[in-house]
Order: sequence, then C-alpha cells, then structure tokens
Amino acid sequence: MLAALGGTASVSLAGCSALLSDDGDEDDGGDGGDGTDGESYADKAQAAWERIQSNPGPDAQDLRNEAYVEIEEAVRDDMIMLNFLHDFSERFWYDYVDVPKIGPLGQAHQQLHTVELEGETELNRINSTHNHIDPVESDDEASSTIITQVYERLVEYPNGVPEIQNQLLDDFELSDDNLTYTFHLKEGVPFHTGGEMTAHDVKYSWRRVIESENSVRANFMLDSPDGVGIVHEEDDEGNPVPDSAALEVIDDYTLEMEVRDPNPAVMDVLTYTAFSVIPEGLVGDIEGYDGEVGRQEFRTSMSAGTGPFELDEFAIDEELRLTRFDDYHRDTASVESVHFEIVEDDEARYTYAMEKNADIFPIPTQYYDPNKIDAETDDMGRESGTYGELENGETVNYLGLPELVTRYFGFNARNVPKPVRQAIAYVTDQEEIVNQVFAGRGVPAYSFTPPGIWPTGQDGYEKFVEEYPYSANETDIEGAKQVLEEAGYTSDDPYELTCTTYESVVYQEAAGLLRDKLSGNGVEIELDQAQFATLQQRGYDGDLEMYSLGWGWSWESVAYGHFGFEPKNTDTSGMPGDNNGYYLDWHVELSENDE
Amino acid sequence: MSRWGYLVKRIALSIPVLFSAITFLFLMLRLGPLDPVSARLGEQASGADVTRLREQMGLNDPLWKQYLDFMRDLLTFSGESWVVQANRPITDIVAQVAPTTIWLGFWAILLPLFIGIPLGFYAGLNPNSKSDYVASVSSILWLSMPNFWLAVMALAFLRKTKGGGVLGFDWYALGPDISGITGTPGLDFLTLTNVFGVPLPTAMDWMAFLTDFKLILPASLILGSASMATEMRIGRTAVLETVNSNYVETAKAKGLKSRAIVWKHIFRNALIPLVPVITNEAFILIGGSVIIEYIFNINGLGSLYFRALVAADIPLAGALLFMFTLLIISLNLLQDFLYTIIDPRVGYDR
Repeated sequence: MLAALGGTASVSLAGCSALLSDDGDEDDGGDGGDGTDGESYADKAQAAWERIQSNPGPDAQDLRNEAYVEIEEAVRDDMIMLNFLHDFSERFWYDYVDVPKIGPLGQAHQQLHTVELEGETELNRINSTHNHIDPVESDDEASSTIITQVYERLVEYPNGVPEIQNQLLDDFELSDDNLTYTFHLKEGVPFHTGGEMTAHDVKYSWRRVIESENSVRANFMLDSPDGVGIVHEEDDEGNPVPDSAALEVIDDYTLEMEVRDPNPAVMDVLTYTAFSVIPEGLVGDIEGYDGEVGRQEFRTSMSAGTGPFELDEFAIDEELRLTRFDDYHRDTASVESVHFEIVEDDEARYTYAMEKNADIFPIPTQYYDPNKIDAETDDMGRESGTYGELENGETVNYLGLPELVTRYFGFNARNVPKPVRQAIAYVTDQEEIVNQVFAGRGVPAYSFTPPGIWPTGQDGYEKFVEEYPYSANETDIEGAKQVLEEAGYTSDDPYELTCTTYESVVYQEAAGLLRDKLSGNGVEIELDQAQFATLQQRGYDGDLEMYSLGWGWSWESVAYGHFGFEPKNTDTSGMPGDNNGYYLDWHVELSENDE
Repeated sequence: MSRWGYLVKRIALSIPVLFSAITFLFLMLRLGPLDPVSARLGEQASGADVTRLREQMGLNDPLWKQYLDFMRDLLTFSGESWVVQANRPITDIVAQVAPTTIWLGFWAILLPLFIGIPLGFYAGLNPNSKSDYVASVSSILWLSMPNFWLAVMALAFLRKTKGGGVLGFDWYALGPDISGITGTPGLDFLTLTNVFGVPLPTAMDWMAFLTDFKLILPASLILGSASMATEMRIGRTAVLETVNSNYVETAKAKGLKSRAIVWKHIFRNALIPLVPVITNEAFILIGGSVIIEYIFNINGLGSLYFRALVAADIPLAGALLFMFTLLIISLNLLQDFLYTIIDPRVGYDR
C-alpha cells in the first residue's frame, strides 16, 4: 500500500526525456489548437482556472464545477496527461470485529473508538514503520494512522468519508468577503495531560505547522489554493516571520484566522493531521516557547492530545500500543486498547494475519485471489462483502474501494508533439494495465479527478467517460497510426522518446506495454529508470518528455489537484520556486506564447 | 619473531584496511543514488524545506569536509540518524536492536555446530554407508536451498500447523505457547541487579528463555543452514583424513579401544580445519541476517541496516557498515591468533 497522504505524489513516476534528433527535425509541439477561433486547449484551461480563482464564493460552486470539467476536458483533448489508474484499497477483517466502513480518503482518517470487538478487549492491527507521532512531521500513512487516534483537529472526515464533520469545533463563521474565519471551539475538551483545550492551544499548534523547523507541511498553511493561504509576513529570505500569521485569539473558545484569497477548500485543508491540537508550549520548537518536554520525548514516548486513545508504549519498528482515554469528549472507546504490530514484509504480514494476531489486515498480492470475493457495490462505489475461505479456514469481511489517488503519464508539451501524445493514448488499454500490471487491484482511470470527488457528480463523470475519444480499454493501433501519419511520423521515420520511469516494477511494465504496442508504428519509446530525486530535478529542468507519477488527495477538493494544470503554473523554468504545477510546460501552447 | 610481535604487526596492518574501508563506504553512500532529503520530506517537498534540511544535514559543505565529519562520527561513535529514526543518536539505536541480532546469531552459529559436526563425524567414521549417503545428499540439498526461500516456506508450513492442522502437531502449542511465529523476541529472561554498582544476572526466567528460544529457532536454523551443511562436509573429510593417518594406525596397533581412538585422536585433530570454517560462517551471518530478519519481522541490526539503506539514511547505514567492517577485521585477527596457537609454524619468520 502506497500512502498517498499529505498530497504526497505517490511513489511512482516515469519521466521520459526526448531524444531530440540532431538533424534539426524538431517539432515544437505547440500545435494545440482545436480549430475554434484560434483558442488552444491550454487557453481553455488557463481561462477556466482563472474563472475558478475569481469566483471563490459559496454561491459560485456550480460555476466552478463547470470550470473544473473544462480543465479535465482540455487535459484530455490535448492529451497533456494520460491518466490510467486510480488506486483501489482493500481491507479484510475477522467476523468478531465490528468496524465502520471507510471512505475514499483512506483508513488513516478512521478513529477507532467506534470499533467493537466480541470477546476481546484489544484491537490488533498491522502498521508500517514510522519513527514519531508528531503531527507536524507526519507525511506518511503509518504515522497518520496513529496520530488520528491520539490527536484531533477542528474538523475531520469521519472514517475517511468525504463529508466534513466537527471534531473540536462547535461552529464557525465566514465573513462576507470570504477572508476571515471565526472558529468557535467546543468547550470542556480535556487533554490526555490534563487541562482543557482552548484557542491558545490551537494557535500554538498551528504556529508549529508554519514555524517549527520539524514541520514538513508548512505549505498547507501558507500556500493557496493547495493550502489555507493564511495572511503572514515573510523575511528577506522568504521564510515566514515568527508569530506573523493572522491567527488571533479572541477569547478562550474563539479564534480568528485571516486568509489572503477567498478559498473554498479552507475547511477541507484543516482536516489534515498536521493541524492537530496539542497543549500550548508543550514543545519548544517555535519562537517564544522553551518547551515543557524535549522533542524526542514528544515524538516517541508521550501523547498530549484530545483523542480517544493515549499512547501506552511505542517500541520503534516493533510495536505500538494505545490505551483508551476515559475522559474522551465524545463516545469513549469500546475497546480498552489498540495494538499495532509493525511489519513490513508481506510474508510476515500474511502469517501474522493468518495466526489471527491481527483483527483487521491487508492481503498481499501473492496470496490474493479475486475469485474469493463475494461483494456488492454500495452507493459510494465501495465493494463490501466477504472474502474466503482463507488458508486458516476462515471467511472474513471484505471492503474494497477506490481511493483518491490517480496514476498517470504526463507529457512535457515543449518536448512531445500532440499527435504523439494522442497516439500513446490510443494504444493505452486501461483495463489491461489494471489487470496485467496491477493484478486487478486498481480502477481504470479516464480523468485526473477520481470519480469519488467528480465536480458534477456520478452522472457527470459517466458522461465524461463516454466522451473519451481515444478508444478506452482497447489497444487502438489504427487510431494511433492515423494521427501519427497525419503528423508525418511513420515506421520508417518514427518519433523517438526515452521514457524514464521511477524505480518501480509496475511503472516499468506499464510503460513497457505502451512501448511494445507503438514500436514499429511510428513512435519508438525507450525505457529508462531514475531515482525519484533525480526525476524531480529533471522535471524542474524541463528535461522530461513523458513521465509518470501519482497524485493523492489529502482532502476533498478538486482544486487541490487542478492547481497543477494551470498552464502558467506548469512553466518549469519557474520551478521549484515560483511554480508548483506538474512538469508539463503547457504554457508553450498558450496563444499569447505562439511564435 | 615472537607470537606477540606477529599479532601486533597484524593489528597494525589492519588500520590502513579500516581507513580504506571508511573511504570506500563514504564514496559509495555519498556519491550513490541515495537522497536522504526526499526520503525525509516525501515527494511534495517544498523548495524552502529542502534547502533548510540540506543545510541541516551538512550536504552543502564541501565534500572533503563531509568526509572528515563522516570519519569523525564513525570513529567516535557519535553520529545521528537522518531518516530511519531521525535525530536519534546511532549508538542508542544500535544498543536497542543489537541484542536481538546477537541472540539470533548465537543460535545460528551454535545449532549448526551441534548438528553439522556430529553428522559429519558420523559420516566420516562410516564412509560409503547408507547413512553417509543420506547425510551427504541432504547436506548438499540444504546448501543449495536459498535462505529467503526457506524462510518463506518455513512461515507457510509452521502457520498451517496452528490448531493441529495438516501434520497433527501444533508448533504454537509445542513447549511454551506462542501466539505468533514472527516478531522480535523479548529477551527479558535475565533479571539484572546491581551488585556494588555492577549489574549482574541474579535470576533467570526459564519459561521466558524457552519462549525466546522457540521464537528464534526457525530463523536461526535457516540462517545457519548453509553453515551446517558446510561443517558437515568439512568434518567428514577431516575425519576421513585422520582415520587414514599414521598415528591412528599406531594407536590401533597398540591395541587401544576404538572409542578412545575416536575421541582422543581423531576428534581433536579433525577439529583443526573446522576453525576457519566456523569463523568464516560469522561473515555469512552478517549478510544473511538482513533477509532473515526482514522476513521473520525481527527488529535487529539486519533489518535496521536494510531500512537505513532503503531510506537513504547515510550516517546510520555508514555506521552499521563500519561496525560490520570492524567485526570482520577483528574476527580475522582472532582467526590468525587461533592459528598461532594451534599451529606454531604460523608467523612472519620464515
């Protein structure tokens, strides 16, 4: 399971850098016109994004949704990015466990106080390695899973279902200009360490997100639209000035926050684990506090949250145990404790689960048999039912659901002409990739935004898929040949690319499928591999041609994926500083940049 | 040259070896494709965070300075982990997991000794008998089965015995009860009490000891499987050689009982060629423990080293490799020292 939290683009990409032939046969790839009044697809995407930005109000939701669909259409019709798979996550649990179904944001959002066990007092689970439980340091699923049990935010996605609910919040008001949020906190919420949660604690905790040198998510507070976009000052080096962020404590239960631009996703961002509340002054890693405990102690051997469980023991890389917090401000947990065995190896995980040492568990692909699933699809597109029988004779509960993760091949517009991009799309058989390369554990993708958060709902998504112009789920070599021939690429005079995938077998295989289908038909793809860091650097340098990556949504917001498509934001010459879009160089197809 | 002089010379010679090893490690780790910054920050790292962390890790210093820092940290055992257990002193991390690996290694060396050598001697004393063939063939089989495969098979086989299962025996209930066959042994069977400031074992919990032994048994048997087979084969050859030697003939002519001949003459002399074999096994254990610990989910040095490399934790991986290097060099020294004792002809004075 690849964690795709914190917007961590999942560990998977394939960069393809063009082998520009030396004989001056360069195609600038700038032919992005769709034949209507000279407006290119890039123009369409740029205009749609600007429309989204200038209409941030709650009443303009429909207008924004239409613009999101326009961006998806522009991306698809220009084939600047070939999306092929959404992650599919599965969990299995024994009959004596009663656990709520999780939603597409993933299990790390699920607080376990609602779990009930028959005849047991301790819930047993498996987790991956992590070395701390400090909210501001967390960018992986393993530590988020624990932080969710121990610490809480103002708002949450209960069980990972994308419907915001209050956690430490009573209600909030948004000013008429959509810039000032007034949070009214829930009263009488106790910390594990004693004392009551107040607005001072929230401010301190959020300042840590911005200012602590240990924070890996400051951008979720500072940036917009891929974050809150809080008003703050910067010093000469561009670092935030301590205590300059616009957070004002009005009284013990009221906190005001001011953002730079109206941003409909603010409350969604605040569901992220980094925004968990800890007692004021607990750790001295921001200016004005000496800290009551050392950093190491805070990260590994104590819990000072408001959550349903407290940390009991944490043996790094071995196990972690949480015990019930009896003064929890909502329903106290039904289980007395939760134990996480930390196991990385698939064989060991499977053994541990078959011994019934884990109550909720994954099944590694080598032991997984799709024929053992007996499940029905519910209204959220989740498959729920049973799986069995397992080798230990048990039939267990099963839940499979598409997660908010998309895997794609992106193209650099400067390096790859549009007909070549479209030819690659024609020969892509999404279902084949899912079944052959991912052993069926995935959902074919035809858009960047997953169906679970499609802006115009399920019907809108289905309509979008119906219009998919590149022969979905089949290898359309004829279609590919046709676009290539029109552009003058033939088997005798092919277009050549070098495709560099991230060091991951599945991406190599997926790219290999495309290479084999196009070979001899006008496009010759050469595969190459690179470390993530190398690839990222080549992305910034604009050296990539076709590359593959994954994007995971940390909160439910289409904009949180779409900001990276704004053509001006894909200009790699402004990376990594000014621009943070995908490495597409799509701006070269804007009419204003036509030569 | 005296025996001691020889030893001092050997120690002096190992110092340049150590330094070239450190240099090689530095180059491998630092110039390889490992990127601790992206491992630490994840893929959505912002430029400012990357710059800050690079500065913090000293990755912006000139290479010679990084090399000196690396060497200083290794020689003084004062480095900190970057990724795996970020900002924790490496000595703490190692101290926490080393006992587990020592426990694994101890049994992985001891068990083969008690199985391989007797089998080899038995086969050597009864050459070309049916039992000799069985022992020889099975040892070749053991040698040729890779550890990782054996480990996976052992897990699959043992977990199926739960509750009686296929073969009518239940590994989980055999002897001390265990709930799982993977995981890290507790190793708290000794009660240490401070006697005049020195911690001494004062009590022993035999049940806990047995449980830990049972937990580590499959892993250590598999880890030692290759050594077991080698020891058996070398033992067999050594016994065969001594059996046909002159002094055994003499002993027989003197009318000694065959039991006395076997124990007094054959056994002792046949052990000599086994000394380098046994010390060499220790090197194999270092590499083998990585994969075995990973599959059996044992939190020891092997799995720590694996995690450090995967996560690009350069100081931690470097420190562990440095430890392995030290261990190998000192084992070599020990081997040479044992030779000088066993065989007076060894030395630099020819």
